[in-house]
This record gives sequence, structure tokens and C-alpha cells, in this order.
Amino acid sequence: MLTMEKPAQTRDDLIDALLLKAEVDAFNARYCAALDSQRLADWAALFTEDAFYTIISRENHDRGLPVGLIYCENGGMIRDRAFALEKTAMFAPRYLRHMVSNLSVREAADGSFTANADYVVFQVLFDRPAATIHQVGRYDDVFVRTPSGLRLKSRTCIYDSLLVDNALCIPV
Amino acid sequence: MAWQRVAALESLRDSGVVGVELEATPIALYRFGAEVFATHGICTHALAFLKDGWVEDGTIECPLHQGVFDIRTGRALCAPLTRDLATYAVKVEGGDVYVDLEISGIHPNSAAECPAAGAHSEGASAALPLVIIGAGQAAAAAIRAARAAGFAAPIHLVGEERHAPYERPPLSKAALAEGFDAASCMRLSPADAQALGVTLHLGVRATAIDPVARTVTLSDGAALAYGALLLATGGRARRLTAPGGDLPGVHYLRTLEDAQAIAMALKGAGRVAVIGGGFIGLELASAAVARGAEVVLLEREPELMARLLPAPLGAVFRQVAERAGVSIRRDTAVTGITQEAAHLTIATSAGPVMADVVLVGVGLEPETALAEAAGCAVDGGIVVDGEARTSVEGIWAAGDCALHATPLRGRARRLESWQNAEEQGAAAGRSIAGVAGAAEAKAPWFWSDQFGFNIQMLGITAPDDAVVVSGPDAAAGAVYRTLDPQSGRVTAVLAVDDPAAIRAARAELDAEAPFDGAAHDARPVTLDAACDDENSDAISEDDDMSADPAAQFAKTYAWPKDGLSIIPDWVYTDETIYQREVERIFHGRTWNFVALECEVENPGDFIRSNVGPTPVVVSRAEDGTIHVFENRCAHRAAEFCRELSGTAKEFVCPYHQWSYDLKGNLVGVPFRRGVDGKGGMPKDFKPAEHGLRQLKVETHRGVVFASYAEDMEPLADYLGPEVMHEFETTFDGRKPKLLGHYRHSLPGNWKLYHENLKDPYHATLLHTFLVTFGLLVAGNKSLMLADPSGRHGVMASAKSEAGNVDEDKKKEMRAYKEGMSLEEPRFMNFIDEFDSPWSVTMATIWPNLIVQREMNTLGIRHIIPNGPNEFVMKWTMFGFEGDDEEMTRHRLRQGNLMGPAGFLGLEDNEAIKFVQDGMLRVTDGEHLVKLDPETEAGTADTLISEAAIRAMYKHWRDVMGIA
Repeated sequence: MLTMEKPAQTRDDLIDALLLKAEVDAFNARYCAALDSQRLADWAALFTEDAFYTIISRENHDRGLPVGLIYCENGGMIRDRAFALEKTAMFAPRYLRHMVSNLSVREAADGSFTANADYVVFQVLFDRPAATIHQVGRYDDVFVRTPSGLRLKSRTCIYDSLLVDNALCIPV
Repeated sequence: MAWQRVAALESLRDSGVVGVELEATPIALYRFGAEVFATHGICTHALAFLKDGWVEDGTIECPLHQGVFDIRTGRALCAPLTRDLATYAVKVEGGDVYVDLEISGIHPNSAAECPAAGAHSEGASAALPLVIIGAGQAAAAAIRAARAAGFAAPIHLVGEERHAPYERPPLSKAALAEGFDAASCMRLSPADAQALGVTLHLGVRATAIDPVARTVTLSDGAALAYGALLLATGGRARRLTAPGGDLPGVHYLRTLEDAQAIAMALKGAGRVAVIGGGFIGLELASAAVARGAEVVLLEREPELMARLLPAPLGAVFRQVAERAGVSIRRDTAVTGITQEAAHLTIATSAGPVMADVVLVGVGLEPETALAEAAGCAVDGGIVVDGEARTSVEGIWAAGDCALHATPLRGRARRLESWQNAEEQGAAAGRSIAGVAGAAEAKAPWFWSDQFGFNIQMLGITAPDDAVVVSGPDAAAGAVYRTLDPQSGRVTAVLAVDDPAAIRAARAELDAEAPFDGAAHDARPVTLDAACDDENSDAISEDDDMSADPAAQFAKTYAWPKDGLSIIPDWVYTDETIYQREVERIFHGRTWNFVALECEVENPGDFIRSNVGPTPVVVSRAEDGTIHVFENRCAHRAAEFCRELSGTAKEFVCPYHQWSYDLKGNLVGVPFRRGVDGKGGMPKDFKPAEHGLRQLKVETHRGVVFASYAEDMEPLADYLGPEVMHEFETTFDGRKPKLLGHYRHSLPGNWKLYHENLKDPYHATLLHTFLVTFGLLVAGNKSLMLADPSGRHGVMASAKSEAGNVDEDKKKEMRAYKEGMSLEEPRFMNFIDEFDSPWSVTMATIWPNLIVQREMNTLGIRHIIPNGPNEFVMKWTMFGFEGDDEEMTRHRLRQGNLMGPAGFLGLEDNEAIKFVQDGMLRVTDGEHLVKLDPETEAGTADTLISEAAIRAMYKHWRDVMGIA
């Protein structure tokens, strides 16, 4: 993907690109921290009101099939998801670590920009010695700038690990 | 136009094919007498050189998948070919062959007859050599006897092992102890061989026999002409068919190297498991005990030596072994072996057995393939006469691979013994040398050294012979006689440390009169008497039960006395139960979901699926029919189809390129005819008999079911009217449209998922979400239906509004939480699209399908068990053709309820895991399913009921044979 990016023409362009990438990196760190500490309301607040969020298998994605593990069409549904998981859902306690890497960012003319990054989610159950790799995949994102900082207008989590280990309890 | 010389006519074999290259184009040249044809050298189907193919009747058959082309026209004559082959003009001038690549080879006079294959060379002279295949003891005996009888022609001895002939009996005895010298068991040393004029071909295999031309082809490419051929091919140690039979640490015994490996393995082995309680198994156990190991011996039959001896005699061997400290488990079938670090775990029908080393002695498989291919009569062994002649002129057979010349006790038998190898081998040697006359008939004689005793047996006994004993029982000096139950004559004598009794026995076996028990102070031995040992009570009780494996199963898996309201944990955790479920349920008389028709919309479309744990492929053939077959190559069992879905013209196993059509029929076997007449499949190999295992298929309303039962009843009869009605309410005639899949693995027993959906009790208690938003409350109109067989069910409820929950009911529902509301209320909308009083139904269709109609989110849940403690759930979410975009989005939004991350789904997954965890951490536990005692088992009109679970287990116990 890198070779497809518009090459930075000048030193200023390059610095702008690096600053933007650093900004998205910082956003993703915040995003992961909210999930890993299971502050799901904080996580939901990182999306715009018209945001789209889904976790879809690479199998479905590649075949153009829309079914996702989680499918949210707007900020309300994302908050419903956060609320339901925090207040109603029963699952064994666990720790998670979200890792994000290989970020690439492309800016669009209207000020929004798209980004891609790979992610890994580790899961620790309290009665097992090892952290397991719970999901491996790729974020396909659209960001916008708002007065309160970057927000996700769309995040599609395309996961490679097709066979989910039992249940997916926390978003990715 | 350019004629180019490609070959000398002389270099082309008549009716054969050779490959040449011209301007980087591979060319195949075919000669028929004076005429030569040329085609492109590569098959149009797959990358295969036609020079390796098979020429017949003017056609060339590709070596890879048996596509056939007409040599003259290049026309593709059969599947899997779809394109014709290029042909080129050929001329022969002055003994040279010329080809022009620019001119097609199609001749106007191409009707010329294709000559038949050349005549075979005739006959073999007496001065031609003796070739012996198999360098064991029978071969050695034959060589010595032939030379002794004046046989003067050369002798060639072909042996797969690198050793000159040696005796095998020591391999399970002295060879396993310290300080064994292999030279001590030599039967024909290389020096002897030289002296006797024998050329040794060791480490070489005979690959083919041409009985007409009288030649033997060897694996090193050599060909030996013979006047006489002796097959002394012996056999192979029978392998375990259970998985893990080839792990390191699992040993078989046939060769000197095997014995050396076992001797090494026994050094310092703490715990040894021996599989098989015959002579070899017991000798291996004896050797292991002598090395200080703790030994357990596993026997599948109710008694040791069951193939050879009456049960009371088998019990004698057992007592001897048990006294030496061997722990013997009978009625114990091995179902698999697994390895962790240096430890092996043997899964058996009676629970796991741990060992450092596993020694297998489960019999010998005679090596008769060459004999069969040469046309010799074979009937469990090579059929021979008293001079060891087979049914084919010029071929003799002797030793473990051959039958005894005459039936023994009414049955054609092979005798796997030292004596038989010697005598039959010698008879063959004399006969080949031209000395007529059968060997003197001697009673079969066996011996065994085990646990410090020398045990010899003369004669042939049968399982229902009576047994008498003289002298002590199961101790030195014991002499057992087996008696024909009709005539009372002695059929065999077995003596413990008493060779004199065996010498005397020859006369007894010849006697016409019934055995005089009083004269020998003999008393009967019955099974009970044989077990009259220190632990007589325990053992005899065990014997009563173990006489019949079915009884043993019934004893191990006895349902609790409380009847239907208790379910023991082993129902969910036991490997034997699981194996029986696969056999009797998933592979039994059931219809199993495999796909939606829309997943294989067009001819050639396929998906991978499963019936029970077994991988299958669902495919649509050219004629539009749907086929389901095992995803397991008929050749070496490879799971050949790896893509989850796709479109194909055929299926080709990548390992050896066996190819199958879209219906699962075997189409192509690479090099089926061998190359240059060498190798390849047996002549009588019929592809039609080696297709993929094909299942019976029925489709209904766009849903595809498969069954292993060939005479399976129609789906409508299997479901019954009530369940069919619910099925047809969801699949209402609109064409299903695929929306996608979820796949997840659940660490629980597969039946727990059925129970979860036959357990409406949990819904109001576990699923806070459901209750909070008014989807389901205890007071909702609802039904838990069980079909009359008990196996299928439908859980149904009608939606009410949260506001309708009255105060009393709220208190009862722990899960209820007030003050919650959805920001996106559309998510819970129910669009009434079905002709049904129910807004939610879950149909559990035995054994692997759940049809989910959760308001408007529709899904198939497909259960794929993977052992007792795990299963995979594959979800196939669908809508219908004709859904507009908003309807599709509505189904997707509502999909948040279900699946691995669904508000309800994730909780069920976790609950099932909790249940399995709970069972695995106690022993002998059981579950309570007592709710709603008014309905013993069957349909309940309250959600607070477990009657449908009880109905399911009534059915399950019937099918599983658990009383």
C-alpha cells in the first residue's frame, strides 16, 4: 500500500504526513486503552454520530457478504452496544490487549482521511496460563476532524481468524 | 513448411509412444508398424507428458487422469478432457522420421488399423534359474532342499530386508534380552548362499511378475527371467487402524530391526503397554516384564488367544501372565494413541491407558499382492498343493504367505510357524528340483517362550473344543488336551515345560478312539474353573460381564436409576460415547444439514461442509443436481478440498492428483498403467469402485440435507408434521439469499447446544438483554414443542412490550433491570413477514441443525462436533430474494442479538463453556433436569420446563443402546 501513496513532494509535505500519522497513532492508542480497560462508554465516544462500525470476517468481506459479528449503523447503536455489554451481558471476566501496527493514512480533499492498520487482540482468561490471540485483522477506517479532535466516521474490522474462540465479548 | 528429422524409425517401439522435443515444443511420437504419428506432447487437461501414457486401440491415455485422445486426429474422447490435442504431419524417409510443426497431422487415410500388441515370448526352459521372492526361512529351506535334490540351475534370491535369510522366532524372545547376537538366528548366511550358488538381491523389492514371459521385475529396474518362481513373501505386521498407530514409541515386530528397536525402547521404559494378547503379544509382555517394566496388556476380545484357542486355554495364558505381574485388560479396543512429550496415551473403550512404550502384536497380514497380480489363486493366503505349487504354472509358494495344502479342521488356513516355513519351503524346493511327492503330513507344531515357561502345542484346536488338563493347572508340567466336541478325539495337546508330552502327543493325535480321560487322570477345564484363582470372585464376575462386549458397554454406561430427570456427566465428556454418537447418530439414520441451495447456485459451485465431524463437499453438477461426498481422497485419505467455497470443473487431490468429477466419482488416477509397463495399479482396478463416499441428498425449500443411510426415509417423514410446519413457516417458499457466515468453536459438548434451545427456562434468567427490552418474559405466550420421537423441537414465543410486565412477574425475574432503553429502537422492530403466531422460533432439528427465526434475523446454526468436549458452530445468515435494502439492513441490525458476539449469543456460548468446565473438574457427576414433572417428556406449554430435554434423551438412549 505504501507505494500507492502519493509521495511527499517537499519537506513540509513530509512533516504534515508524519504529523497526521502521529495523530492517528495517538487516536488508536486511546481507542485501545478504552477497550483494554473496558471503559466501553469512552470507546463509543470516539465515533461520530453518523458512524458505521462493524466486525466482519475476511471470508464475508472478500465475498461481498455483509454479515458482521457486530453491526452498528450509527452512534446510537454503538452506544447501545457499549451499554448492553457493560450492564447486561454475562461473560467470564477477562483481560484484553489490543495492539495496532502498520498504520497507513491517506488524506482526502474534503479534510477527511482514510487509514488502514493491522490489529491483534490478546485475551487472558483467569484460569488459563497463556494469553491467546483472540483476533487478528485489519482496520479499514474513515476519520474526520471535530472540535473535540479526531473521530471515527467508519471503522470496519476485517478479521482473519475466521473461527472465533467461543465468544467475542469486547469490541475490537 | 519445414520437415525436421526427429528420430530414427528403429528407435520407436511398435505400438508405443516416445517423447521428443522440436523447437522447444514437446512432441509425442507413436509408431504402428511402418506408420508414425505425432501429437503435441502434453495433455490438454493438466501438465502431464503423453510419452508416459498408455497406447491402446489407436488412442493415447494420459497418465495423470486417464483422459483419452485419438492419436490420428487428436480428438479428446472422454472426461476430464475438454480440448483436442494438436497433431503434426509426419513422414518416414530412409529410416528417419520427420515432423512438420506447421502442418496438422490429420491424414485422409487415418482409418488404418492399429496393430495389436506384439506376441509375448514363449515358454521357459528347465535350465532357466529359480527366482525366489522373499528371503526368509521358507526361502532358505527351499534352497537347501532344491540343491539337495540336485537342482542345478542358478538361483536368485530377492529380499526386501538387507539380511540374508534368518529365523524369526527369536525376535520376540532372545532378541529382546541383553546380549543377543543376530548371527545366532541366521538360516542361510551369505557364505552359505555363495556355496549353494545363490545370487542375493537384498534390499530390493520385486515389483511385478509376468507369468507368461516368466520374468520378475525388481525395484532397482533389473528384470530376472525364471524357469521356476517361488513366492516366499511372508507378511507384514498388521498395523493399528486407530489414529496414532504410527507414532514414534509405537512398535511393531516383524524384522530384526524391529526387534532391535524394541530392545532399545525397553531399556529404561517404566511403563509398557502391549496391544494384542496372542503369542507375539504375550512374548513381548514377557520380554518387557523381564526388563523390569510395568506392563499392561490390552486385548480386544473377551479372552486372550481368542483366534487360536478355546477360551479356557486362553485363560491359562492369562493366568500365567497375570501371575508374572502383567495387568491384562480384555474387551478393550484401542481407539487411538496420542503423544505428549515422551508419554503415550492410548484411548480405549475402557478409558485411557498411559505408557512410555507401546508394543503392538495384532497379527500378520500375508503379502499376497504379487501372487494375485500374477493370477495365482489367493484365499486369505496363496493356494498351493502338497508340493507347494500355486494355480499358475511355474510358480510355487511357501511359508507365512501360503495356505496349508489341505484344510485343517475343515478350514483352509495359513500356519505362521517355524515348522511350516521349513516344511513347506522344503517341499517347494524338492518339487522345483523335479522330485515328486508331497511332504510327509505332520501335525502343526507351535512353541512359545513366555514368563519363564516353554509352552508347546501340537495339533489344531477350535474355539468350541472341550479342554481337559492333566497334572497341575497353569504351571510347569501341566498338559492340556483339546477334544473334538463330537468325536471326543484329541485335536491338540498343549504342554507347559513338558516336551516329552508333545512327543507322546503325536500318537494321541493319530488315534481313532476318543480320548480316555481316566487313563491320563485328566479333568475338564471350564472357563469358571480356569479363573478359580486367588481373586476368584472378582474375576469370575468380570468374566460374566465381559463375555459380551455389548454387556460390557451396558455395564460401563448404565443410566442412573432415577430415570429421565438425571443425566450423568459421561453423556457429555466420554470419548467412547462420542465415537458411538458419530457412528449411530451423525453417520446413522439422520438427515444432516449441509448447505443452503443458494450457496451452490450454479453448476460447478461447491462449499466445504460437515456431517457430524466428517468433512464433506457439497457440489452442484453440470446437470444441476446437488451432490454431497466425503472430503477425503479415496487413495490416501487426504482432505483434498481446502477452499471454503468456490467454483470448480472437477476436484483434484493435490497429493497424487487423483481427480473426481462434480458428483464425487473417481475420474483419473495418475500413472494408473505405470510407465513403460512398470508399476501402476493392479490390472483389475476399477475406478468406479473407488469414488468418494457419496451421501444421500434431499433438498427442501432451498435447504440441502445429507444422510449416510442409503435407505433414509424422506425428510418430511423424518421431521414429522409439526416440525415440518415450523420449517416451512420460516422457509416459506421465498428463495433464501446468503448474507454471510459466522464460525466459532465452543468448548462444550455438542448436545448442550440442543439443550440450550430446548431449555426455555434459561432465557429469562441468563439473557438480561432479552428481558429488559421486552423480547421474552416468563409471562409471554410461548411453546416448547418436542416432536413425537423426542429428537426435534421448536422453542417459540410471541413478543410483548416491556411495559406489559406486571410487578409480580418482575420480582421473579432476577434478570430484569428497569430504566434501560435503546437509543436505536428500530433495532428491536418486528416486521411481521411470516404466517405464524410466533415472533421468535428456534427449531432444533436433530442432529446438527438449528433454524433461527429471531424476529427478522434469520440463520442456520450448523453443529460440527469435534470430540466430546468441543464443537464448531457454523452460522449461515440469510434473507430472501426480494428483500429491499432496508429489509436487509434490518436483518443485519437485528443480527446483533445472535452469533459469537450477539447480545444473547455470547451469553449462551459462555454458559455452555461453564457447564463443560464444571463437568470436567469433578468425577462421576450428574445433572438435574426435573423441571415441570407434569410432563414426563415431550411438549410443554410453560417456559419453566425441561420436558423437551428429557424427550431428547429418551430418543438418544434408544439410538445409543443405553438402557
